[in-house]
Amino acid sequence: MGGGTAVEWLAPSSLEEALALRAERGGDTTVVAGGSFLAILMNQGFVAPTSLLSLGKVQELRGIDVVDGELRLGAMVSHRAVERDPVIRRDWPVLSRAFGLVASPRVRNQATVGGVLADADYASDPPAVLCAVNARAVLRSPRGVRQVAIDELILGFYETCIAEDELLTEVRVPAALGPAVYRKFRSRSSEDRPCVAVAAARSAGRLRVVVGACAEVPQHYPDVCAEGADGPIDDAVAREIGAVYAKRMAPLSDSRGSAEYRRRVVAVEVRRAVEMVGADGAGNGAGREGAGGEE
Amino acid sequence: MKLALELNGRPTELECEPDEMLLEVLRREGLGSVRATCGIGVCGACTVLVDGEPLSGCLTLAPKVEGREVTTVEGLAGADPVQRAFIEAHGFQCGWCTPGFVLTAKALLAENPQPSEAEIAEAFGGNLCRCGSYVKIVDAVRRAAGEPAGAR
Ligand SMILES: Cc1cc2nc3c(=O)[nH]c(=O)nc-3n(C[C@H](O)[C@H](O)[C@H](O)COP(=O)(O)OP(=O)(O)OC[C@H]3O[C@@H](n4cnc5c(N)ncnc54)[C@H](O)[C@@H]3O)c2cc1C
Ligand code: FES
Ligand code: FES
Repeated sequence: MGGGTAVEWLAPSSLEEALALRAERGGDTTVVAGGSFLAILMNQGFVAPTSLLSLGKVQELRGIDVVDGELRLGAMVSHRAVERDPVIRRDWPVLSRAFGLVASPRVRNQATVGGVLADADYASDPPAVLCAVNARAVLRSPRGVRQVAIDELILGFYETCIAEDELLTEVRVPAALGPAVYRKFRSRSSEDRPCVAVAAARSAGRLRVVVGACAEVPQHYPDVCAEGADGPIDDAVAREIGAVYAKRMAPLSDSRGSAEYRRRVVAVEVRRAVEMVGADGAGNGAGREGAGGEE
Repeated sequence: MKLALELNGRPTELECEPDEMLLEVLRREGLGSVRATCGIGVCGACTVLVDGEPLSGCLTLAPKVEGREVTTVEGLAGADPVQRAFIEAHGFQCGWCTPGFVLTAKALLAENPQPSEAEIAEAFGGNLCRCGSYVKIVDAVRRAAGEPAGAR
């Protein structure tokens, strides 16, 4: 680092300027949001960018707004801001909870909503919960704007559908109509990334259960969740959903747990998540806060 | 490139490379309290306050702090109540991790003047002490919060 030919630092102060630079340079410049993921790769010598496009001065990307009941999070909103924002805490408590369970407060000050989705690490917390609450990512370029669901955005290990001339500018989350929980099961230390992440949400007679950190991309099986329509979900159904998730999934093995270990944890954590959102029936309660899987 | 910021209360202009981390730039300025240790954001020995919030010096690209307020423990000049509490409670052994803990404690107390034990533990989630002085470190925070020693 340092030394050699000068590296370029691009720091546009408007979104329009940022989009123009991104479109012009494409893959020749590296987007910097919080920079935490990128800095690790640089410190370890995996990448040596020759041009950096920092979004830090783009104020339009820092908004936390509610429009027609829908939450709009700018790509440069930090995890810490999602954790602490009073409106999110009140109306989307599952998001405050899940973002607040990422690493340490210092990492959360740096990590951004856009950065965590764009880096598409399989062991991140936010993708599963954002998928469960049906969030969409807004992708912009001078060509236009498109909105994609989280499972359309994340294609594989560190791979997304963001084109070389696009920026992820916003995440939109529909109004929380029912209870939602996020359970983070850690196998090593309390600041670690998840070994198994389970997010469950019930809204308008529909149950969504998404498992993160176990495969290349967040896993969810709508047909299995169909049993959790309106009304309280009894414990036998919750157990059955957990068992089917565990059976159908092909978990990966890494330093946080073997595939066989993960399969067992998935059965238990999915059951618990479904019990938590299932107890009070669908549609009432403004998104109950979930325990973090501390037990 | 030139980097203009407010460093420990003084408007300062530094030289940096666009791909340099803040940690290296501050150390070159003689601010040795910012310590290169894990380089992956886990240990907290490189902690600095940027606009009052803790950030990892090892993961922060230097040009990102353009125009912002950066504080290291050198800026506290030994006169800060949190620093004094660490000395009185003996919240360290070798002292390697101490600047990071002091700055993290300052940010915690600024937001939450009477933190519970759980809140202190949560705030220090990203700070490691290889000497294992955690008990005394927590005592130091309570002392800085104005609680009598051994109150809980
Ligand atoms: C010690 C440590 C512990 C961690 N623990 C956890 C954890 O427990 N759970 C968890 O979920 N995560 C964890 N993380 C990951 C952390 O949350 C990520 O590093 C962070 O989300 C990346 O965000 P960033 O804003 O810093 O991204 P950056 O590093 O700035 O960017 C990441 C990637 O996305 C691209 N990019 C960024 N923003 C955009 C955009 N708007 N449009 C297009 N491309 C973009 C960049 O070019 C880069 O390739 C941990 C990180 C550290 C350092
Ligand atoms: S050196 Fe930065 S967190 Fe360890
Ligand atoms: S006092 Fe030695 S590392 Fe903490």
